Amino acid sequence: MGRYIIRRMLQGIPMLFLLSVVLFTLVNITPGGPLAGHGRSRHVKPEKAEMLKRQFGLDQPMPLQYVIWLIGNDWMKVDADGDGLAESRGERRGILRGDFGFSFQTRQPVLDEIAQRLPNTIYLMSITLIVVAIIAIPIGVLSAVKQYSIFDIVATTFSFMGQAIPEFWLGMILILVFYAWLQNPITGEPLLPPGGMKSLDAGFNLWDRIQHLILPVTMGMVGWVAWYSRFLRSGMLDVVHQDYIRTARAKGLSERLVMYRHALKNALIPLVTIFALDLPYMFAGSLYVELIFSWPGMGRLYYQAATKRDYPMLMAVLIIASGVTVGANLMADIVYGLLDPRVRYD
Amino acid sequence: MFGRSNNTALALVLVCIMLVMSVSGCGPTEEPTQPPEPTEAAVQEPTQAPEPTQAPEATQAPEATQAPEPTQPPEPTEEPPMAEEISIVIAIPEDPAGFNGHVSDTGYEQLMMELVLVGLTDLDPEGNFFTELAAEIPTLENGGVVMDEEAWTMDVTWTLRDDVSWADGEPVTADDVIFTWNAISDPETGIWAEGVDYTDSIEKVDDYTFVVHYNTVYPNYRIQFGGENFAVWPEHYCDAEQGYVSWDCNRQPLSSGPFVLDEWEIGDHLSFSRNPNYYEEGKPHIDHVDVRIVPERAVIKTMMLAGDADVFMWLTAMEADDLLEAPSTDVSFSPTSRWVMRLIPNLAARGELDPVANPHPILSDVRVRQAIRMAIDVDSLMEEIFRGYSEPMWTEFFRPPYECDIPQPEYDPEGAKVLLDEAGWTDEDGDGIRECHGCLNAEEGYVMSMENMIYAEFGEELELAQQLVAEMLRGIGIDLELSIIEGTVLWADYESGGIEQQGDFDLNMWDDGYPGIDPTDHLWFYYYSSAAEPDYGWNVGRYMSEDFDALLDEAYVLDEEYRKDVFCQIAELLDQELPQILLWTVFDANGYSTRLEGIQSSVNDLVTWNVADWRIVEP
Repeated sequence: MGRYIIRRMLQGIPMLFLLSVVLFTLVNITPGGPLAGHGRSRHVKPEKAEMLKRQFGLDQPMPLQYVIWLIGNDWMKVDADGDGLAESRGERRGILRGDFGFSFQTRQPVLDEIAQRLPNTIYLMSITLIVVAIIAIPIGVLSAVKQYSIFDIVATTFSFMGQAIPEFWLGMILILVFYAWLQNPITGEPLLPPGGMKSLDAGFNLWDRIQHLILPVTMGMVGWVAWYSRFLRSGMLDVVHQDYIRTARAKGLSERLVMYRHALKNALIPLVTIFALDLPYMFAGSLYVELIFSWPGMGRLYYQAATKRDYPMLMAVLIIASGVTVGANLMADIVYGLLDPRVRYD
Repeated sequence: MFGRSNNTALALVLVCIMLVMSVSGCGPTEEPTQPPEPTEAAVQEPTQAPEPTQAPEATQAPEATQAPEPTQPPEPTEEPPMAEEISIVIAIPEDPAGFNGHVSDTGYEQLMMELVLVGLTDLDPEGNFFTELAAEIPTLENGGVVMDEEAWTMDVTWTLRDDVSWADGEPVTADDVIFTWNAISDPETGIWAEGVDYTDSIEKVDDYTFVVHYNTVYPNYRIQFGGENFAVWPEHYCDAEQGYVSWDCNRQPLSSGPFVLDEWEIGDHLSFSRNPNYYEEGKPHIDHVDVRIVPERAVIKTMMLAGDADVFMWLTAMEADDLLEAPSTDVSFSPTSRWVMRLIPNLAARGELDPVANPHPILSDVRVRQAIRMAIDVDSLMEEIFRGYSEPMWTEFFRPPYECDIPQPEYDPEGAKVLLDEAGWTDEDGDGIRECHGCLNAEEGYVMSMENMIYAEFGEELELAQQLVAEMLRGIGIDLELSIIEGTVLWADYESGGIEQQGDFDLNMWDDGYPGIDPTDHLWFYYYSSAAEPDYGWNVGRYMSEDFDALLDEAYVLDEEYRKDVFCQIAELLDQELPQILLWTVFDANGYSTRLEGIQSSVNDLVTWNVADWRIVEP
């Protein structure tokens, strides 16, 4: 197993390298650019655009831009002042030495920006996933155990609704109902806040934090609960028809024991894999949830970077997400091997 | 190999990982940005600010006056009780990139800048100059401007107020202005700014006086060190080594304005408290300003209606309607307009850059452009889509001080048809779309069909307008294929595949206008022949006119009467040749809570331009 893990990790390096080439190319050849106007003026003045190009390193050919992004430019001289002479040494160190560059928008180091947003996304997404697991697993199991019962029919109906409902619309409805319409009968204030992670000047107040979590977690979990519960139901139904379940029953075990000790454990194996594959969402966040509920997370960061063609930020988010995805795949394989004795990697 | 105990342990590990991840987000948030604490000197009683004088008449060229009269908020009937600290909330959809209006132009940087920093001068909503750091505005009359007629250069002497301090108590001096300008004009770490091409050097005379030496006559000098983008930065606080566009003080500014930044939690909020060292006595009237980042506009509107937000920027017509109807909110409209929605006809063939060698088969004929304008019923667009908040506009010269008497074009679809017939565009196959039969620059039988692009960011109202314009043009036999393009694609530079710079369009529709009161830069970038070169300007319709170029060259003078005459000649020329078909003004409106008083929208600056004057009516 150890050798397998090392081998997979080594295989991940060229994969990430190839991914970085593809992503860098795609990001840079996508129509549009960071020099277009966005706000008060529709256009950036040409003189300003010229300076920005130089400061952003966009005056170099794309292959060289990639090399600089990868290994930096402190080994070469650059024309920093636009006089046509490359007389000063570059200051970029490249991502291989931990320098992801600076954001075109804020001029701040990209990793600093990500470090400010990432904990917020992990905070929201991990709680959402925990709530999803708490709700989806019992629903999935009960739906399978009581197949075609009223509960199963209701759960199935809601699952389909949960998968079909537009996330964006659901968020707006939640705000309308729990912020605009319903009020706290004691204080007269809106029942739940419309967004943000906490109230201004609230400091660390657990109840305040929970209140701010309720709506975004609700919005984020609906689709996942529907998906996970359907997946688990299907897995359980596959398992209960296996020979070893028949054997367990033949041994005289109670139905409860058969279901929860033998069937559920095996049905959960693929679910754990799916869960591991969903781990990149912990990094990437949910765009709609963050937009609707003003959650300062990675989804919004990526969205703004994409709309404004903030290449360094885009590349950092994409390459880190790629790394997390590769790692999560490896983790899924390892976990699968650990849980299912039939799987061997030697 | 892997027994039950191993599985249990694995499950426990997974749960632990998730809990750690959860807790990592729950911990104390990152230390917010903290500007330096004001020193003792910073809390000294500010000195008396001079009373503003009467502003000039709106129709005259703006004189060098002090603080604005026309937009001065109404005097309150009584002082609000001071027992409780007063806070307001401004909701905006995204974080500003910083506090430097030159670095990014989303508008939110300028909004923040007005809270904490000041320049030498600014413009009120009517286009009148008023002073901030400057003691007065230099003019030829008061001797502040000295022209060298022979060399066609000029020197401008600025004198600063001597009673303005930074939040740490250090005085704001000429050194700070010179430091800022040098940082801006650094070719390596600076940024292009208005006036940078015309400024030779700045020379310090004393702590509160400096002289700007220009290499030409620069009419817009009065706003060079002020306006919506420029602020004076502290020499003793900002690190010149880091460079103007990247220095830390862009995000941790030291205040000279009405408020001081307390904290900035990225993506969530910025908090400001009143600057006790602010130079205008008794101002600001509000103790705290919280700027909340709320990406979804519908949520901001809901917060406004629920009383959780006090200011909502850049309203759409529908949002303005909703806020006007609600009892707790109101809307401030800018008294003048800046942005004009316009059709940009490409006079060169699609994908070509030379309109003479490769004229556009349809739009290169001025009669076609005139017919298009005659066929668009702008009045009905205003009523049906913009609910009367926008107004028809047909010339660049509609703002004081350069208002020219160009008659509004008549909506005349029948006349448009006649004009198209005369131009050789007729519908002989009976399909409702005209074809070229003897037209100027297209092959016989060429169908009068074009693509019309708008930019996606404007939103639903422009999409509806585009559809209605297409219907109107269809009525005279012109077929429009409608496209909605991201602004970052439409306006990107040539190498990045910018559609307009590459000339890869027929007829685009978007809005723009010029800040302040000097239209010369705007006219140059959109109409001057040299600006038709890719990435050198935004004359993307490739309008080439020696007459226009010569007239605009004449406008770089200080004689306001002469300038107005030149601009009105330009207005007539553009009205005849129609390199752009101007349609309507895009209204500038900001929503506010009725507990606030003193809000006045301005196209010349952000709504916070007079934030020091805002008051709470009902605390």
